[in-house]
Amino acid sequence: MKKKLVLSLMMAVLLLLTACGGGGGETVAEGDDEHGELVPSITILSSLPEANMVNYEMANEVVEELRALGVEIQAEPTDFAVLIDTIYGDESDYDAYTIGWSGRVERLDPDMFIHSINHSNNADAGGNNTEKYRNPAFDVLADAQRQEMDITKRRELVFQAQEILAQDVPRITLYSRANVQVYNTEKFQTVENIPGEGLFNEWTPMIIEPLTNETILKVASNINLDTLNPMGARSVYEWRNLRLIYDKLVRLSPEIEPVPAAASGWDIVDDNTIDVHLREGMAFHDGEPVKVEDVKFSYEAFINNNVEYFMSFLEPIESIEIIDETTVRFNLVTPYAPFITTTLTQIPILPQHIWEQMDDQRNDPNSHPIGSGPFIFENFRPGEELVATTNKDFYEPAKIDGYIFNIFASPEGVLTALELGDIDMVSYDLVPAHIEQVANNEGGKYDHLELTEVKDIGFFYLGMNADRAPFGNKDFRIATAHLVDYDLAVDVHLNGYGGRGGGGLVINDANDFWHNPAVPIYDEYNPERAREILAEAGFTWDSNGRLRMPKQ
Amino acid sequence: MLKYIARRVGIMTVMILLIATMIFFLFRAMPGDATAYIVDPSMPPEAREIARERYGFNDSKWVQYTIFMKDLVRLDFGNSYFYGRPVMSLIGERLPATLILMLTAMIFSYIIGIFGGAWMAWKRGSKLESAGITFSLIFRSAPTFWVGLMMILLFAAKLRWVPAQGMRTSGYTGDTFAEIFLNLDFLRHLILPSLVAGLYFIATPLLIMRNSMLEVLSEDYIEMAKAKGLKERTILYKHAARNALLPVVTAGALFIGSAIGGQVLIEYVFSWPGLGREIVQAVTRRDYPLAQGAFIIISAMLMMMNLVADILYAVLDPRISYK
Repeated sequence: MKKKLVLSLMMAVLLLLTACGGGGGETVAEGDDEHGELVPSITILSSLPEANMVNYEMANEVVEELRALGVEIQAEPTDFAVLIDTIYGDESDYDAYTIGWSGRVERLDPDMFIHSINHSNNADAGGNNTEKYRNPAFDVLADAQRQEMDITKRRELVFQAQEILAQDVPRITLYSRANVQVYNTEKFQTVENIPGEGLFNEWTPMIIEPLTNETILKVASNINLDTLNPMGARSVYEWRNLRLIYDKLVRLSPEIEPVPAAASGWDIVDDNTIDVHLREGMAFHDGEPVKVEDVKFSYEAFINNNVEYFMSFLEPIESIEIIDETTVRFNLVTPYAPFITTTLTQIPILPQHIWEQMDDQRNDPNSHPIGSGPFIFENFRPGEELVATTNKDFYEPAKIDGYIFNIFASPEGVLTALELGDIDMVSYDLVPAHIEQVANNEGGKYDHLELTEVKDIGFFYLGMNADRAPFGNKDFRIATAHLVDYDLAVDVHLNGYGGRGGGGLVINDANDFWHNPAVPIYDEYNPERAREILAEAGFTWDSNGRLRMPKQ
Repeated sequence: MLKYIARRVGIMTVMILLIATMIFFLFRAMPGDATAYIVDPSMPPEAREIARERYGFNDSKWVQYTIFMKDLVRLDFGNSYFYGRPVMSLIGERLPATLILMLTAMIFSYIIGIFGGAWMAWKRGSKLESAGITFSLIFRSAPTFWVGLMMILLFAAKLRWVPAQGMRTSGYTGDTFAEIFLNLDFLRHLILPSLVAGLYFIATPLLIMRNSMLEVLSEDYIEMAKAKGLKERTILYKHAARNALLPVVTAGALFIGSAIGGQVLIEYVFSWPGLGREIVQAVTRRDYPLAQGAFIIISAMLMMMNLVADILYAVLDPRISYK
């Protein structure tokens, strides 16, 4: 009897609720025709929680905030491959999404984060400007910085470009992770932790000093390597090894300045002509000398094989000439400022006598790479390890006798191996739980380890499709930037190991030289202010509390 | 008999082609762009286009399918998108590691399972029997990665008897099969993962053997043997166990068929460079050729071992014959 009563009561309540909901949601109350269009329903394609928990959480936060402002919005966790397909697909069928740009070393040059992802030329389907941001005034600056060969003047242009981005907020940076990595201080000393690169960068293997008679550095990775062919290499993990085996003309110093490597120096003859002088007396690991012909051959091989990853860096090259036995001249189509910092620091010098004999350079397995770099390739077992010994004839030989790149299946396995002293260094960012574990050092288990932390130049963000309402409205984007709790992302979700985001922030303070500290960015969590911004911009709320676009 | 085998092989070939077709279209029906993992998002759109062209994504599904089937008939699974190398050689490289681990685990679990199962049926109702069942079921239901982690914690981290992970001590050199697999270092690395896998598998042969034994033990000839006053052990292993083996043999043959797929979680926990991990990664990376190749080989192996089981049946039990 009692049960029945409760049941019928519940039914009644339910009926009442649906009646109210139905009546309120569908019909437009009188007076609402004075408002503009309803803000269309928004879907945020967020990361899957297992792929990126922080992005997933932050997307849900934004959803809640916008919902409180009367916007119909939901988050849809999406697999990475599906997300890439959607945002680079032909239909451009999306409202907003969360994703990130990783902080690779070549992205220290501002061209990627200024030009490539914001220029209106790249706003068509498939381009990197997936926010469809179009501002002619910005485009002028983005083009100019690319062609300005004077670094001080270029910096000024990049600073101005950042100001415009901070005002227009094409995307909202949510946070950036810190690169927290660890190494064994009982066995080794002197390391560099470089933003976007971590410990296993181009310099650490060269400068690290062994403290015991174990002179082989054991580096842990939790990602497998796919190929040893530099033209086929698709992930940064192959590159971290290949660039130690193959030498390059220029390397970026830990302070991110170009320093001569295989080149002894370079002259900028004019804006379109750069002469590079080759260091003398270098040899490949098979004993053959490194000649200017090899340099010309290498660059042309990368251009002719259309190696996707390097296409944008190599596009500005018109031709390559050999001037004399130690000089190569690069003729450019147009002035290209990142040429020295990016192009010359990226392309490995291949031995012509080996590569010209390959039938298919692009797909050759290159199972025993021979370069002229500081380390000599010994062997590689897929899924297990890559072994390299030190090239004692290198112009600045390393202090260790070689290194082993150990491939693990899981970060848990790496932590155990660190604990047991089986490995000396990690090559990836520790997950927050492991950072805590090592930092707490319970029972002195990790006395032999030292955590190193450096800010990442990469960032994770909320991308908004400006071709669609409401994100086409700049004020709506600025208001949204006030709905992100930037401190929550860093302090709670990242345990403090990260950097704050902000509206339109693309070059963060980890990139000391190019970051413009004077730009005021919208990086304050303030839902009240967001409401004011919307109201000032002409947005209104109808009698149902739903947000409406400014009246045309 | 030969005719029977020939017919079965014929059916199997048709089945594999059907399965291949299904797998092909299943993968194509998966949402997501295969170039997402091949082409870095920062590359210009032209680069993405070049990659699409290179891997044939721009051809119609039908054209892709015809090429795939033509290659398949020649036993060519194409090149992996991710590794850029032939799928066959990739699978060939990873297979020994997986098979050695799985077969070691199998031998361990089947020897204990068969003898233990027979003995448990004999001791039916005793405390030892229920203890045996509980023991095997605990390892069957406990997550293998958890058991693995606990074993690593105890035997590798605390006691330091065996290495924690990997297949060899790093920096080890060796080129031939014997140098790589037939040595003490490898065996030391093999113990822990094969123990964890073996403990997980043990419930199958143990319980099948026990149940099948119980059935056999109720047969008249066992009564007869008891009446003749034969020794317990003779009845148990000579008269009963041999006849109870049949279902275990089927299970064992099917096990070998599926062994190629490996035990992903165990390979993960022990950083074992086997095929199982590779297949999972191939699917997430949308590396269709590698995933297709692996799945087709797994299904072919399963069918083949099914046939082997059927043939073994006839050999073990003269009452069964095929026409």
